Amino acid sequence: MNAPKPASPPVLQLEDLVRRRAGRPAVRQLSLTLQAGQVLGLLGVNGAGKSTTLAMIAGVLLPDSGSIRLQGGDFLEHPELAARAIGWLPEAAPLWPELTVREHLDAHARLRGIRGAAVVQARDAVLERLELNDLARRLAGVLSQGQRQRLGLACALLHRPALLVLDEPANALDPVQVAALRKLLRELASDGTAVILSTHQLTEVTAVCDRVAILHEGTLRYDAPLAADQHAALEKTFFDIAVNGRAQAA
Amino acid sequence: MTLFAVTRLELRRLFVRPLGWIIAALALAELGWRFALLLQIFLLNQVRLAALPDGPGYTDLVAVRMYSSFITGSPLPFGVIELALLLVPLLTMSTLAGERSAGTLPLLFASGLSATRILLGKYLAVLIWLALWLLLALAIPVSLAHGARLDWGMFAAATLGSFLALAVLAAIGVAASAYAAHPAVAAVAALMLGLALSCINLGAQLAGVSNGFVNWLAMSTHQETLLRGLVSSADIVWFLLAIAVALALGIQRLASDRERG
Repeated sequence: MNAPKPASPPVLQLEDLVRRRAGRPAVRQLSLTLQAGQVLGLLGVNGAGKSTTLAMIAGVLLPDSGSIRLQGGDFLEHPELAARAIGWLPEAAPLWPELTVREHLDAHARLRGIRGAAVVQARDAVLERLELNDLARRLAGVLSQGQRQRLGLACALLHRPALLVLDEPANALDPVQVAALRKLLRELASDGTAVILSTHQLTEVTAVCDRVAILHEGTLRYDAPLAADQHAALEKTFFDIAVNGRAQAA
Repeated sequence: MTLFAVTRLELRRLFVRPLGWIIAALALAELGWRFALLLQIFLLNQVRLAALPDGPGYTDLVAVRMYSSFITGSPLPFGVIELALLLVPLLTMSTLAGERSAGTLPLLFASGLSATRILLGKYLAVLIWLALWLLLALAIPVSLAHGARLDWGMFAAATLGSFLALAVLAAIGVAASAYAAHPAVAAVAALMLGLALSCINLGAQLAGVSNGFVNWLAMSTHQETLLRGLVSSADIVWFLLAIAVALALGIQRLASDRERG
């Protein structure tokens, strides 16, 4: 008789995450679990704690307390887990302006421990996937904002991470590119990549996400699966939390 | 190893930016002019010097004097070490402060790199750049080695002393860049620290005191021995200690970036 196959650990598990910034609590007791293939939309008004949460998940910022587990491993004890497990696109996609698109991808691949011929293979695959071949020799400093965003996304996808963390990825993209991004995210999810998508746009969430979490004043106020045609319901929930939360704070 | 990936990235950035090339070209032009003047002075006095038993030769008066005016007492300005006091801060100012102000420093942290690897990787890149520059600079006096009698031992000790001084200045520059929010602030801080470390014993020297803690603290004390051709382990340890302290402070500051946010 075959032994039952052990369930694989969640891609991401946050437990009681706390972080203060500029003397005030930015994230309070945040707990969240994300399974492979899930696309989580993270919503919240400005200052809700979305970027702080994403920065902690990406390994850029340490929490004051709480734990982060990546594929079962303690991320705070082993920050090197980020090299293979996380792809991060920060808001405004910071780049090195003096390097070309190709050099960016090569550098990111090497920083994540990819070596030799695998660097070229990974770079060419992502250039193809994000339709960046025509820009490969162009300096990052002369790219348009939309092109920068696509290059940032390419850098985040290069090493085929288990978790993709995206902060406002649709910023500065034209409608065609937004549609391509949505399609790409759905493809990645069906391949088993977990995605966290932070955005201000409810339409982005309803178009791509299968789960939504709403942060308000650093606290997780709502976390539920998202079914089709739920845009109106989500909009009502979001404004209830955002406006009521403000009223309570006042 | 990811440390070398950081080094490779930093070297690539140093070589594609015009600043590095401009610094190297201007410094080498100044050193070429300095060499011509030192050689002219040497040739004018060559007959008189040849008559002296154990008199100074090409190595003492030209090759080693290429490295420093301040320490060798040459009347000409800006040897390799004096140039380095000005140029190394310009080279190192963007290593971390530039990344911080451009918002690219988090990309390195998000790659799973520790502060130690990031800082050491960048330091290694600057050191490689400076070693190449020093090689070009020392090629100037070596170009006449077939015609003049070069004391290779003394010249090697002086080269080692100059390289170690460059390594100390680079470590201070990278550490200053780790502390600063903007490259210009990092450059000024590194310049002031480099000058202070070089000249801290000036008062003691003018007062005729040639030992004591202040003299030990000064970089020029340890360079002087090496420029005279004497390699002492105490001097080497001083240079390594200075490098280690600067890098450790830089790593500590960089690591706190993840805590501060």
